[in-house]
Amino acid sequence: MEELDLLKKDWQKREKNLPKLSYEDIYKMMLRKSSSSVRWIFYISILELGLGILIILFYHPNVGKQLQLPNFINYFSYISIPVLLYFAYRFFQNYRNISTTASVKGLLESIMNARRTVRLYIILNLVLGGLASIFTFIYVYINQQGGWDIFVHEAQIKDYLIIFVVAVIATLIVLFVLLGIYLLLYGFLMRRLRHNYKELKKMEV
Amino acid sequence: MTHDLEHKFVNQLEANQNIVHKICKIYTDCPDAHKDLFQEITIQLWKAYPKFRGDAKFSTWMYRIALNTAITLYRKSKRRLPTDNIDPVLYRVKAIDYDDTEEQQLSLMYDAIKQLNDIEKALVFLYLEDKNYYEISETMGITEINARVKMNRIKKKLRNILNP
Repeated sequence: MEELDLLKKDWQKREKNLPKLSYEDIYKMMLRKSSSSVRWIFYISILELGLGILIILFYHPNVGKQLQLPNFINYFSYISIPVLLYFAYRFFQNYRNISTTASVKGLLESIMNARRTVRLYIILNLVLGGLASIFTFIYVYINQQGGWDIFVHEAQIKDYLIIFVVAVIATLIVLFVLLGIYLLLYGFLMRRLRHNYKELKKMEV
Repeated sequence: MTHDLEHKFVNQLEANQNIVHKICKIYTDCPDAHKDLFQEITIQLWKAYPKFRGDAKFSTWMYRIALNTAITLYRKSKRRLPTDNIDPVLYRVKAIDYDDTEEQQLSLMYDAIKQLNDIEKALVFLYLEDKNYYEISETMGITEINARVKMNRIKKKLRNILNP
């Protein structure tokens, strides 16, 4: 393309008109904090890990005693702890792998990988939280009715249905709120990265 | 020791700052955004500097980090000042008359490049910097053939923008 080659010449000529920063200018810039999107994605994923810890604390055995929570809730927290440790490790690894020295594609790939880990983590958290919430709700409700035996004796199909529907709706509300926050936080940061990744992928076809 | 490294880094960056300015020029459209991106690139370069072993030329290494930052790490501010686009119709009429000066044609080209996406801008930038396809493919992480194919497509796209 003729024009582009014309531009190439002009491009090299224009170097003289570029701004010139002094040693001091650059030195000051160097010491500033980065505000890059990857950094924020990492911060948010750490925040989410914190959220995971909060969920576990919420279902902690001590709290369970006060609310008369069933034993199986304890198992949820037992499962969560190794899961949490695993993800904390993965988050850290992913962040370390994001190095600007890779090629553009390599960098985008490691960012997308980091994202995939966070997404998996969120889904797992939501599923565990959702299950725990449904079971707990049903359990607490039945206990208030005077325990399982009395409930089974007196309950009609309508009662079962009410418990079930209310438990599901309550859980869904919790899940939607969490999902909304999640989409809001990441959707914003990830849009451009995803777009660029797709552009690079297209090139490979 | 750290101070030595800082000193060395700033000196090298100062000597090669043109590369970063040129990337900022392609990816931003106002002085504020230019300065923002320059700063982010400086930070990323400094962060990666301990890994720079000197087996590559400083400038070659800079291309990679600076472009990576522009494409993946930089948060573009949402508020973008409207660029004062000169009426393209007016230009087209002139183009038909073969009356346009080289200057006008060039400014149209720069406007056209601004309309490309981040990845395409990177390829055009490396092309303008007179990098060969091997160097382009290394920086982008694609094969040399793909770099060639993509570059041809970009040329076609630019032609379409210029002569719709």
